[in-house]
Amino acid sequence: MKRGARLFAVLFALLLPAVAQAEARPQLRPFVGGSLEQIQAERAGKPFVLALWSATCTHCPAELKALGQLLKRTPGLEVVLVATDTPAESPQLTRLAAEYGLGRQAQWVFADEQPERLRFQIDRRWYGELPRTYLYDGQHRREAYSGLIPAAQLERWLAANVK
Amino acid sequence: MVRMNRLLGISAIAATLAWAGAVAAHDSGSHAPAANSMAKMWQERQEQAPRLAVAAAFDEQGRLWLARVVGRHLQVSYSDDAGGSFSTPVTVNPVAELISADGEARPRIAVAGGRVHLSWTQALPQPFAGHVRHAQSSDGGKSFSPPETVNDDRQPITHRFNSMLADADGVTLAWIDKRDGHSRKDYRGAAIYTARRGNGEASFSNRKLADHSCECCRLAMAADERGRTLVFWRHIFGKNTRDFALAEIGAPLAGEPLRASDDGWQIDACPHHGGDLAVDGRGGRHLAWFTGAAASPGLHYRRIDGERMTPPRAFGDLDRQPGHPALAAAGDEVWLVWREFDGERNRIVGQHSLDRGDHWSPAAEIASDPGAVDDPLLLRGRGATWLLWNRAGSGLQIRKLTP
Repeated sequence: MKRGARLFAVLFALLLPAVAQAEARPQLRPFVGGSLEQIQAERAGKPFVLALWSATCTHCPAELKALGQLLKRTPGLEVVLVATDTPAESPQLTRLAAEYGLGRQAQWVFADEQPERLRFQIDRRWYGELPRTYLYDGQHRREAYSGLIPAAQLERWLAANVK
Repeated sequence: MVRMNRLLGISAIAATLAWAGAVAAHDSGSHAPAANSMAKMWQERQEQAPRLAVAAAFDEQGRLWLARVVGRHLQVSYSDDAGGSFSTPVTVNPVAELISADGEARPRIAVAGGRVHLSWTQALPQPFAGHVRHAQSSDGGKSFSPPETVNDDRQPITHRFNSMLADADGVTLAWIDKRDGHSRKDYRGAAIYTARRGNGEASFSNRKLADHSCECCRLAMAADERGRTLVFWRHIFGKNTRDFALAEIGAPLAGEPLRASDDGWQIDACPHHGGDLAVDGRGGRHLAWFTGAAASPGLHYRRIDGERMTPPRAFGDLDRQPGHPALAAAGDEVWLVWREFDGERNRIVGQHSLDRGDHWSPAAEIASDPGAVDDPLLLRGRGATWLLWNRAGSGLQIRKLTP
């Protein structure tokens, strides 16, 4: 209890300067139980791409760069990044996302001692392979895809859902 | 009381994180401070808490050896009562280094010929980069030789997912190595490299076992009935079919290695999901693995006798994230365990066969835990098969499995 309280105090002190400054810019948020619902609620009625990735996944850079490219020519597209690493990797994750051209998209990172709990909440038939991408339509019906999404599939979804 | 404190600590951290998230969502400062403080907190926790991925093995006298990573050090202890109590841990690497110890990337321990061998992957700052390390004790674990890097290619690239097998005459390591494909865009995946060092020899000579392995799944090693070393890994067949391969170290390999699973999982992704291998008393090779192939997703088991392969048998509950299987075989008895998560608890589910895998007992829960847990390990020792399972909340569980 003492240790937890101390941690809390330390973190609070560290975060104070951040609260004081101001600039509207996407932040890396901790993805915990209920975060998926929050992500969906913040985009009610809107299509979006939920992209699960990791700094340790060798195929993720290609996937994220492709999404970054797509964003450049499709301003209406919205991508939500969820990294399955831990908050310890936060600086690296935000740097990589910016490199891939996704620096202004919503970013989250798994923040649970039990990643399986978060995986289970996202999709109980997702077994952890990365990249894992969900294409949400306006009604939030979603298509799941493991591995690099074929460009044609992404284009089809874009044409049907994003103006 | 200790446990209660721990739970409170975890919920305090969760609350803090939720709060940090709320701040992050609304505040407007340069995002670096929030991200960095969150990172710092997790790093500190990682440095302090023992990491979940452990390694363990019984020696021929029935002593149970355990290796775990605490902070940036690998520590070894032993138990003479099958896990009831452990000796004071001895640090293997005197100089601190970042050691991979989660899920598929884990330290290994092997005890044979009067030596205690340790191997691990030193994580480098470059992405996907690591060095395979080895140290050994010749005085019963009182002291260890200075750690050595086993891979003779020293570029800061992938040399990771170390696996190890020791016998009375020496030690053999196998790992995933990117040296051949590092600067070649057309090279598929990575390669499996191996190194053998006989007792008393000075260095590890590296040899390539196969080109085009998948990049991020643990390897399994086992000695067969004639003492030959087998390696089982996720391979890339064709353009991007990530099924499993089985090969013998030292045997000439013409073309592709033996295709041990034929799931047809075509994917450009990192499954982070290797398999396991055990050899029974008659030389039968028992394999367990995971595939995400649409036609047959999940865990599968098969046995290979010479040229004959049994059809793959699916196991595990697909709605409970079945994964990370372990196998053990002795005589005609075979044990198979894996993990599942039901939304609340992690479960170790297992079954056994008394006829080399032809017939199996119903799958049954062997253990469960509400917290963060390691993958299950199966050990052979003291004339029995043992489940060893590390849990963040309640520590190491060691259970003798009886049919």
